[in-house]
Amino acid sequence: MISSRYITIPIIFLLLCTQTLWAVERFPPPDFVETDHKLPSTDYITDVTPRLVLYEYIDVAVLAGTLSLASYLVLKNRSRRAIFALMIFSLLYFGFWRKGCICSIGSIQNLVLSVFSNSYVIPLTVLAFFILPLAFTLFFGRTFCAAVCPLGAIQDVVLLRQLVLPKWLESGLRLCAYLYLGAAVLFASTDSAFIICRYDPFVAFFRLTGRLNMMILGACLLVIGVFIGRPYCRFLCPYGVILRQFSRLSRWHATITPDECIKCRLCEDACPFNAINTPTAPWPASNYRKSKIAITSILIISPVIIFLAVLLGASISDSWSKMNPTVRLAERIYLENNGMVEGTINESVAFRSAGTPVSELYQQASIIKNQFKFGGRLLGGFIGFVISLMLINNSIQRRREDYQTDRAGCVSCGRCFQFCPKEQERLKKLKEQSA
Amino acid sequence: MSPENPEINEKSSNKQILHQAIFNTAVVAGIFSIIVFGLLVVNYLQVRLLDPMRTERLEYLKLQLAEKPTDEQILTQIRQLDLQIRKDKISRLNFSHQGAILLVAGIIIFISAAKIAADLKRKLPMPQPAHDIQTKQVRHVTLARWSIVSFLVLTGVFAVLFAVTKKVDFSQGSSSYPSEEQINKNWPRFRGPQGSGISFYTNIPTKWDGKTGKGIIWKTKVPLPGNNSPVIWDDKIFLCGANKNQRQVYCFDRIKGRLIWQKDVTTAIPDGNIPDIEEATSYAAPTMTTDGKRVFAIFPLGDVACFDFKGKNIWNKNLGLPHSMYGYATSLEMYQNLLIIQYDQASADDGKSRIFALDAFSGNTVWEVKRPVGGSWTTPIVAKIGEQHQLITCADPCVISYNPSNGAEIWRAECVSGDLAPSPIYAGDFVFAVSPYNKLSAIKPDGAGDVTKSHIAWTVEGDIPDISSPVSDGKYIYLATTEGILSCIQISDGKKLWFKDVREEFNASPSIVGKYVYLICTDGTAIIIESAEEYREIARNELGEEVFASPAFADGRIYIRSEEYLYCIGNTN
Repeated sequence: MISSRYITIPIIFLLLCTQTLWAVERFPPPDFVETDHKLPSTDYITDVTPRLVLYEYIDVAVLAGTLSLASYLVLKNRSRRAIFALMIFSLLYFGFWRKGCICSIGSIQNLVLSVFSNSYVIPLTVLAFFILPLAFTLFFGRTFCAAVCPLGAIQDVVLLRQLVLPKWLESGLRLCAYLYLGAAVLFASTDSAFIICRYDPFVAFFRLTGRLNMMILGACLLVIGVFIGRPYCRFLCPYGVILRQFSRLSRWHATITPDECIKCRLCEDACPFNAINTPTAPWPASNYRKSKIAITSILIISPVIIFLAVLLGASISDSWSKMNPTVRLAERIYLENNGMVEGTINESVAFRSAGTPVSELYQQASIIKNQFKFGGRLLGGFIGFVISLMLINNSIQRRREDYQTDRAGCVSCGRCFQFCPKEQERLKKLKEQSA
Repeated sequence: MSPENPEINEKSSNKQILHQAIFNTAVVAGIFSIIVFGLLVVNYLQVRLLDPMRTERLEYLKLQLAEKPTDEQILTQIRQLDLQIRKDKISRLNFSHQGAILLVAGIIIFISAAKIAADLKRKLPMPQPAHDIQTKQVRHVTLARWSIVSFLVLTGVFAVLFAVTKKVDFSQGSSSYPSEEQINKNWPRFRGPQGSGISFYTNIPTKWDGKTGKGIIWKTKVPLPGNNSPVIWDDKIFLCGANKNQRQVYCFDRIKGRLIWQKDVTTAIPDGNIPDIEEATSYAAPTMTTDGKRVFAIFPLGDVACFDFKGKNIWNKNLGLPHSMYGYATSLEMYQNLLIIQYDQASADDGKSRIFALDAFSGNTVWEVKRPVGGSWTTPIVAKIGEQHQLITCADPCVISYNPSNGAEIWRAECVSGDLAPSPIYAGDFVFAVSPYNKLSAIKPDGAGDVTKSHIAWTVEGDIPDISSPVSDGKYIYLATTEGILSCIQISDGKKLWFKDVREEFNASPSIVGKYVYLICTDGTAIIIESAEEYREIARNELGEEVFASPAFADGRIYIRSEEYLYCIGNTN
């Protein structure tokens, strides 16, 4: 039998080290000071022909096609191998071929910006990338995560040794994704930054180049992903937060068994993503009263939690506003003007050369800071509300008779199918029929 | 292995062989990936460590070449090293790209093989009897709630850490340049605020003696000579000095006279091209200026340098060697964030004269205007006239006023000629311009376009200086010729009230302190007279050393640069 250390140690080492691969400096332009030679006006950046619009529509068509196929494979075909093959195709097409852009996760920001900015109109293709996975999730569950999303795919591929996290820990970690979603909306709405794209941990791998820090982050997530299935999808993905809610309401959803659950418990450890809900035992009578008290208490303190979160949101708004280039420039100019920093940066030199009054810049920065203050409060309120809901959700005593997929958390990967004896029976019958 | 069933045994054996083969593939792919990775790391380290060293060497050679531009050996070395660096960069970049592809391929094979190998050895699920589900359920619910609360607490801690970072309040000190009040309390340029020569402080001593040391608080030797005058900001005094081979900027402690720092300013002009400059002008004639945070100097070779108050060189710039008959001597002026440099040279027909406004922070040119004038040695002033600031310049043949923000011309008056050294002043609603040995013109500065015929209120001739600039208290204007003739003119109508031959020689410009006019002669004698419609001498003080620079004033003190020393004069008690 293959020992786990033979697999895991080299993988950790290799993945951790790949970050240095593309960190070589770009070749600097030649220096022709002595001869006053002017570089040609066309360079490799401006010479690049824009991608044809047609290709964008092809991308949408491929997205729709892969979503349809993924839904069919999950719900009808129930083949993990086919799902895996489609996942590899998506990884190659949307990941390495399309360089991870555009992606449905990042499209949240485009949508938000188009709502808040008068000068930005969201392209139809981006809108399609945002809507199509949601629509499919509403009908078929998270088949997008199963076999279409390249970020999910790259993590799924490296998963070798599944380590199941306790569910209670997962409840807390999942809140990171809500925070990330809220922050992404805040930054996009203030036209400050597209943080989902900027901090996409895997796009550097898809493009075979990128910032060193993002390479390290991506490598770390992949190393974690060797043991803990899809850490980004489960604990960070902002789009996953929305998909979870849609998946709860989905018309159809992947099931462990094609028929009825015989409670054989063979599928109990099949899911690396903790997305199988086991049957519950009857709750102790004493706990029923405790549960009622807990829910009542949480309902009473919810406004306090939300208020506290609002305060925290407001307190971080000033720091977060520095992500906005105008605020950053204004602060830099302020520091330079007051002798609090030495030297200048390109942005401050350009600003001064433009002759725009400093007061105007400060005014703009103050407006953006106020937007952040308001947005920070809203974000805090949102997180406080989510925390309250999750506390209530975790205090409700539920009854379950069968082994079921967790409709919100299940990414429809199909790993559990093969563990079900009923599924084996179905496959046997199919084989016989085809024979 | 059961000996009873050969078919199962064979299958099991095949599976074992297959597993071993795939496992070995994984090991080989892993080793291959590690080797490729190792080579990439070496390549990366070479890029990070070796290249910067060679780039530094290249920069050093370039600097050497700047000093010896005709040295073919250095030029060849630069070309060879430059080519080598570029070749290596290209080859390393290619290596890095190819290595990356190989490494990715290696990792893909390793992961695939490892996954298959693990799959072949996978155990079937064997669920153990479940115990105490009820307790686990209850524990899970409790822990989940704690986990969520912990998230809130951790987020709160991070939020507090974010919140304690330094906040910038744009309403506090939003201006990058000093206020009018700050400027008035200091002496930030040649002849103080607005180049008027008027001291904000009136508690200035009138008696001292350089020979006995009476009234001399301290005197400090200035390392290199120069005719530029001291500039003062708070507790610091700035001067510059130079000879043909060296240019330096000095910062002195205003209170104790200690030389705090001295910094060299390099020149872009090669040794062989440095012209000889008249001793009377010196290699450091232009007076420095400061915006209260940085200090700026210009030297006659066209080198402009900016330092912070700690002596850190912020930027340098060379404006090109000026074609100046006696050597460039125009002092610097500041307007808000702009360093104003009047760069007059050659003759008007040569079209070489310019005025530059450089960004004080970076040295970048914000605006530049070509001037229809020849070389001059006057210093421009920025005066607040009504609600508007005007940059007033003076050079043969015009006095020209510009908008200091953008360099747009406002008005010009053709009323000066010759080799101009006395700087213009603004007083009593007039701009005064001196045409050496010829006339003093009073110009009303509220015009536009050519105001030669419309806005010259009066002119006065006789006893007109050729070096020192006039000074005015708003009622009278005082002139001091090089030959030692002092005169006083009434501003309202240009009537000469008195003149007096004091039998001295003046290069330094006169200053006004309260009701007195201070005049420093070239032999170091300071003549103090009353600012009045009649000549009345208050004091004559000997310094004992020659003085060509104009004095600077601070609270209770006068600072005079002599040929070798910087003097602080004040109440020694």
